[in-house]
Amino acid sequence: MTDNASAMAGAPKARFEFSRLLGLTLIGVLLAMFLFLSWKTTTFATPGNLSNLARQGAIFAILALGQTFVIITAGIDLSVGAVASFITVVVAMLIQSVAPGIVVSLAGVGFSDYAANIVALWVCIFAALALGMAIGAFHAFGVVKMGLPPFIITLATFTALRGVGLLMTNGSTINVTNDVFTGFSRGEFLGIPNLFMVVIIVAVPAFVYLHLSRWGRYLYAVGSNAEAARLSGVNVQAVTATAYILSALCAAIVGVMLASRTGTGNATQAIGFELEAIAASVIGGTSLFGAIGSVWGPLLGAFILATIRNGANLMNVNSFWQFIITGGLIILIVYFDGLRRQRR
Amino acid sequence: MTVTATHAPVARPAAAVPILELRGLEKRYTGTHALKPADLAFETGEVHAIVGENGAGKSTLIKLLTGVTPRTSGEMIWKGQATDLSTPNEAIALGINAVHQEVVLCPHLTVAANIFLGDEHTSRGLLKDRAMVREAQKIIDDLGFNLPAGVPLSSLTIGQQQLIATARAASRGTQFLIFDEPTAYLTRQEAAQLFALIRRLKSEGVTIVYISHRMEEIFELADRVSVLRDGTLVGTRKVSETTDAELVALMINRSIDQIYHKETFAIGAPILDARHLSGPGFDDVSLTIREGEIVGLYGLIGAGRSEFVMGVYGRQPRTAGEVLWQGRPVDIRSERQAIDLGMALAPESRRDQGLCLNLGVGLNINLPVFDRLTRGLTISAAQERQAADKQIADLRIKTASRNALALSLSGGNQQKIVIGKWLNHGAKLFIFDEPTVGVDVGTKAEIYRLFGRLLSQGAGILLISSYLPEVYELADQLHVFRGGRQVATHGFKAVSHEQILTEAIGI
Repeated sequence: MTDNASAMAGAPKARFEFSRLLGLTLIGVLLAMFLFLSWKTTTFATPGNLSNLARQGAIFAILALGQTFVIITAGIDLSVGAVASFITVVVAMLIQSVAPGIVVSLAGVGFSDYAANIVALWVCIFAALALGMAIGAFHAFGVVKMGLPPFIITLATFTALRGVGLLMTNGSTINVTNDVFTGFSRGEFLGIPNLFMVVIIVAVPAFVYLHLSRWGRYLYAVGSNAEAARLSGVNVQAVTATAYILSALCAAIVGVMLASRTGTGNATQAIGFELEAIAASVIGGTSLFGAIGSVWGPLLGAFILATIRNGANLMNVNSFWQFIITGGLIILIVYFDGLRRQRR
Repeated sequence: MTVTATHAPVARPAAAVPILELRGLEKRYTGTHALKPADLAFETGEVHAIVGENGAGKSTLIKLLTGVTPRTSGEMIWKGQATDLSTPNEAIALGINAVHQEVVLCPHLTVAANIFLGDEHTSRGLLKDRAMVREAQKIIDDLGFNLPAGVPLSSLTIGQQQLIATARAASRGTQFLIFDEPTAYLTRQEAAQLFALIRRLKSEGVTIVYISHRMEEIFELADRVSVLRDGTLVGTRKVSETTDAELVALMINRSIDQIYHKETFAIGAPILDARHLSGPGFDDVSLTIREGEIVGLYGLIGAGRSEFVMGVYGRQPRTAGEVLWQGRPVDIRSERQAIDLGMALAPESRRDQGLCLNLGVGLNINLPVFDRLTRGLTISAAQERQAADKQIADLRIKTASRNALALSLSGGNQQKIVIGKWLNHGAKLFIFDEPTVGVDVGTKAEIYRLFGRLLSQGAGILLISSYLPEVYELADQLHVFRGGRQVATHGFKAVSHEQILTEAIGI
């Protein structure tokens, strides 16, 4: 046999860091768009517009981040738009019907009206988020225990949850009259829009989870080769379940943000958001085949999409073009992703 | 089909042009020499058997003959004309077809649709379904199979599907038909039908290449037989002039390389004691692995060795029997449990079971031990680097960096990752399932030396191999498996190669 053949073949060339390049490319694309729009329009680089952009991007950034966890395991979560919409209904209902009761009883034990209101809102929000995680747990059950393809189980909730929400509201819209709640989405903290702050609050633990903890490593391992991970002692079922629960939690957070931003609970909001989230994630370098993805990728992807939309509006580009540009960008990025895979 | 004048298989005039002649045919893959230059002439209308151990180069030869992989060098001469034969379509155009052990057809389509797949009868662009079913039925009836043509292929048994695959090949003007262990899944009756078909094709002048482990089939069917060993064509015999003992002797590598370093260590207490264990694919297996010893499991692919291992490791459920771990009864229900007890598994298939190919070398090495590398919530980056670099250095894994993707490494170095991931873990029982498949000799020797190191540290090794010299030279105890059962147990080099191979094949 060829003893030295393996010696030669065993020294692969240093891998060109395409993923890092892609990250830089995305920042470059975002910067170029910012510069271009600042130059071409007088309205883009204004505090009002930028904070508007930050709010628009924030919604998709969080959805895309949750979606990314699932895609890294080589799954897909089609339900995130429906979950977000359903949670707007839930949180609106809770705030309108349960919160006042909590406020009254807290005021009875000496809370100020303002403090009682804040506590009541947090109770409602946490209940809504918990419900979101329960929906994620249902997806996980379908995938892990029933052996359903992720596409199917999340497609089922994608349609069913809209129905549940419509039944709960009888098809109508619930208006949220709590000013503290609706004021949150318009507010700022240290000059940064609150909704953007939520992105940071979500992204930091997400970064720790995905990039620094062993659970993140397991997520990649499961997406790359579940059998190898299993034989190495990784609890594949638990790891997979976590991804779906986190994706649904992110969707629930977006539901609360949407309810605050629109001041309504409505089961027909957020139509098509799941595809926006997938697009943002893919533009951010996540591979639909699993095992490749990051936290910053989907965040950048979401803000790139938001900037395209914002800029097109400001430049009076026919809004229909936005869809076409987004489509073209997806093809371009995924094509380069394929090239990156081949080089490896 | 070409009908040649001669029907006498052995006494052929020397001047007859062989249907296919191989001259110096050779195939190298990265790191392995799968087929060393081989010269072989297939005579028109003969049944030519090919035998050899697993990994001897039989599959490589089939892939070359059917154009699935291009050759590295050498010539292929078809009826006296040099031919390129580097794509499957070229092979089919010449009239070369193969029937594989696993049926590679579309189970959801009808029998007729499968027979005509890729060659459908149409009328103005539309399929002539009923005509095809009629014609397929005629083909099947002509061959003497009592099978319907209009039902989905999946409604037939595997054996019947195999017959359909043969009918498909036979119906397309095949002149050169390769069978790769066709009877592996057939019942006796189905096998008889297949043999009748093969004889008939032969009488029509079709050349048959027949690959099988079953000696009795070769002596029943074949005119000549060629033996492959370690990628070398070591001989061709007329079946009428050879014996199965001679063939077995040819199949076995007599010149044992210097690569086996058998070191003997003091045998200690039992680590794993399996008693009458049964499960999917294995039945009533009992064996003991003690500190400082290598227990070998030998058998052909599908003999139930890997299934037994997966049962012990908690990957597959066990249906009967008990397992003692260091003298205590244990009920292992998950891989994690097995690992926590102190088992380590380097599984049979590196690509499917052993590695996360599109992830880094370091991540693969550390996969079983991330819990130990974790401080608080996060992984200690320094310890992660250290643990990976230690194995890369100790095992001399040739990689650009610990972040290089596992798929960028050669087979031998990939295998070192699969083994290395358990060395940081510090297991008591190491299970190596086919650890040297597709691994070059140098790396093989390194892996065997590593066995000695593990044994000296008081570990036990369960070594599964289809490569007889490996288990023969290394195992203190050798269990022979056949058809999911443990058919024999021997001490270190207690019996001859021939006897073990005979037990495994079941002559």
